[in-house]
Amino acid sequence: MASRNRPRPIRRPLINKEAGGFDQCWATLQSAMTDIHNKNASKLSFENLYRASYKITLVKRGEDLFNKVKEFETEWFHNHIIPGVDELVRNNLPSIALIQMTTSSSHERREAGERLLRGIRKIWEDHNTSMNLIADMLMYLERSCAETKQASVYATTIGLFRDHILKYGLKDVDGSDQPFIIMDVVIAVVLDLINMDRDGDIVDRNLLRDITGMLEQLYETDEEKENEKLYTTIFEPRFLTASEVFYKAECEKLLRESDAGSWLRHTRRRLLEEEERCVTSVSNFTKDNITGVVEKELVLAKMDDFLAMEGSGLKAMVDNDREEDLGILYQLIARIDKSKSTLKTNLQSRVMELGLEIEQTLKNTDFSTPTAAGASREAEDGTEGADKPKALSPAAQQTAAAIKWVDDVLKLKSKFDTLLENCFSNDLVIQSAITKSFADFINMFERSSEFVSLFIDDSLKRGLKGKSDEDAEFVLQKAIVLVRYLSDRDLFERYYQKHLGRRLLHNKSEIHIEKELVRRMRAELGNHFTAKFEGMFKDMELSKDLSTNYKDHIRNLGDDDRKSTELAIHVLTTNFWPTDVMGRGVLQDGDASRADCIFPPSIKRLQESFYKFYCQDRSGRVLTWVPSTGSADIKCYFPKVPGKDSGPLSKDRRYELNVSTYGMIVLMLFNDLSDGESLSFEEIQLKTNIPVSDLTKTLTSLSVPPKFRVLAKEPLAKSVKATDKFSFNAQFVSKQIKIRVPVISSTSKVEGSEERKETERKNDQTRAHVVDAAIVRIMKQRKELSHTQLTTEVISQLSGRFKPDISLIKKRIEDLLAREYLERMEGDTAAYRYLA
Amino acid sequence: MSDSKYITLISYDGFEFVILREAALISETIRAMLRGPFREAQTGRCEFGEIRGPVLEKVVEYFHYHHANRDQTDVPDMDIPVDICLELLMAADFLGLDSKPQMRDIS
Repeated sequence: MASRNRPRPIRRPLINKEAGGFDQCWATLQSAMTDIHNKNASKLSFENLYRASYKITLVKRGEDLFNKVKEFETEWFHNHIIPGVDELVRNNLPSIALIQMTTSSSHERREAGERLLRGIRKIWEDHNTSMNLIADMLMYLERSCAETKQASVYATTIGLFRDHILKYGLKDVDGSDQPFIIMDVVIAVVLDLINMDRDGDIVDRNLLRDITGMLEQLYETDEEKENEKLYTTIFEPRFLTASEVFYKAECEKLLRESDAGSWLRHTRRRLLEEEERCVTSVSNFTKDNITGVVEKELVLAKMDDFLAMEGSGLKAMVDNDREEDLGILYQLIARIDKSKSTLKTNLQSRVMELGLEIEQTLKNTDFSTPTAAGASREAEDGTEGADKPKALSPAAQQTAAAIKWVDDVLKLKSKFDTLLENCFSNDLVIQSAITKSFADFINMFERSSEFVSLFIDDSLKRGLKGKSDEDAEFVLQKAIVLVRYLSDRDLFERYYQKHLGRRLLHNKSEIHIEKELVRRMRAELGNHFTAKFEGMFKDMELSKDLSTNYKDHIRNLGDDDRKSTELAIHVLTTNFWPTDVMGRGVLQDGDASRADCIFPPSIKRLQESFYKFYCQDRSGRVLTWVPSTGSADIKCYFPKVPGKDSGPLSKDRRYELNVSTYGMIVLMLFNDLSDGESLSFEEIQLKTNIPVSDLTKTLTSLSVPPKFRVLAKEPLAKSVKATDKFSFNAQFVSKQIKIRVPVISSTSKVEGSEERKETERKNDQTRAHVVDAAIVRIMKQRKELSHTQLTTEVISQLSGRFKPDISLIKKRIEDLLAREYLERMEGDTAAYRYLA
Repeated sequence: MSDSKYITLISYDGFEFVILREAALISETIRAMLRGPFREAQTGRCEFGEIRGPVLEKVVEYFHYHHANRDQTDVPDMDIPVDICLELLMAADFLGLDSKPQMRDIS
């Protein structure tokens, strides 16, 4: 190279217009394209072809080339491809689903369908290959196309495929004038095969995937917009519609022929299938849509019908603990509905039904024999040590009923807890729904507060002695669970106080377990709720100390008087203890039962002595003796009966009788009688001033049951009347030395209906006061409030104790208005102001 | 049969250059040439009807330079003598070397 300073002129090899001209280049290209389509490309030199298109582009005739290529391809389709397709379709047409001929078997249909699809697939693949090569060939053209923003060659030729093959209408296929669009045929075949696949036939899934893949690569227009793939615009909607139809029919069939359990399993299987299909047969894009269709048609559409099915629906599933079914149901519902509302409502209503059933069962159960109530529950009131089961007294029956109710509720609760854990994976929504239903039916049942307290009473009295810590813990937890559900907590508190009082006074339970339970209640329900109970515990401890101290005191006084009476005393603070224990219960005859009854002189002396002792350290206190409670141990001496030489009556008998305080007072009277004398009922009443009903009960227990007949009654009838006479029964015999005459009030029995009404009335009174206090407190703080706001505040403040009635609150507000604690605000009658 | 590691580029005036296949594939055109059923792919020889020997030589040198420094950054430009630069430009255009290598999907 001589000079390096100047660029050399470009010397091209001989170009004459002819040799490198458009037509010659085109001719080269055209023949090359034919060879490519015929799979004959190996003879060709790529470089030649590339250079040919290069030359054309350089002379700015690229557009012409482009058009020529398009023409060529179109013509190629028409002359070489379409006839093949036509033949394919016609040969397989009688069996193609498009015409819905049912005379062909599904096997034939499948074969024919697959043949058609294979043909189409081959055409597509060949076309694809060829077009790629041609596009390569025209690469130079494309590069300049990209600058002028024309569609690429490849896209265009793909578009040609779409237009001239897929959208081509075959004419005259079945004699009608409607052309069969090939694409419709193809899609119909695909859908048909998918349905056969769903029915269990084996189809070529790869084939399906290839066809749908083809559709994914074709676009509506040559611009190849992403959301305009033929797959998305044409195939997918049809697929979804066809699937909808299919599943709708399947759902109907299931509804007719099978049960809820198999429906669930079937649905689950279908969901998995469709998801799999999106991998093997159609595109993954469709997954959400198709699973949505399945969910809608199989799960949602007839869900209520399935769940209502007898024997297999939701009711049966819950009742029979079909955990697997419920688990599947839960999963399916969770897919479609975040709030699981149908499941929730169904479960809630079931819980309510079952809860109310418990109440119904209770009414229908005959508790009169012990076995009905549960063999382990012994009867109270006089059948201790009985060998054969006797009929239970009505009170004991009621108690047994209470316990059964609680047991059943707890069983129901544990059942649903298991279901919640195993099937619903502890879903919070469902959990709260169930809890609400439980609370609802428990509170609908009027005696729930009472029954829960009785249950606790029974458990504590009965079995916790000697049970391991775990068992005790278990029972306590169950108890707390129930208490939590109650909304009328103040009513429960009242009952619990009563039962606890009895338990403590008669020492019927382990004190540390009682304390533990109260401690938990405090944690659940707050201090004010358990304050009384804790006061009761303290009283008991104090009393124990007092008794010991008094004993020491007496001993120290030096009076070692063997005739003096030993005193074990319980000093109870009035407010803590239930009113009927304190002797302020309601009586039928309306007397206050604390009218002083007349104690025997020795007892009176004892009382005064203790009072003096008690007041040593304390001043200003008043002690009132409660004769309706308490017991006394009396030593009795029955001399031998003259005239009898053998048998028990011929001996002296000494017994120790444990009787109630009233019993003691009555019996002491007989000490002053001489033999043969008797006292009438009225006389006894006068001398002791014991209220009539209590006296009746006492005398009955001492004179009627043969085991305790220390008093002889005239006449011997079973009931005690005011005209009866009583005398010392010299012929009393008992096998035991220590005899315990039953105390009538030591059992906590279920209240009779009058008692209950009374309890509720008292409770309502207390509530009125509580509401008053709450209103005043709120108004004091806020000074002015509207009616609705005030009501809401009151309800929320009192929610821990009970649910106040709106009408109650209204009445209390009016009462306070009358008492001038509040006044109405001028101008706005629905608002109030606090008056200091 | 597996492709050999080297291919041959031939100018129209008969000069042949052997180069690593990998190195030559920077050119879109050569890539297209070597895939597919065409003759070039089978023989591994590419003839260029419009590129002169010295120009092709520079192109091959470029391929080699590019390949050798493919992992490095801030590589200084190759030395290009002024007198062939026009022809080199046209050859580069022909070979598709003016844009970054793109891969095209063959379905």
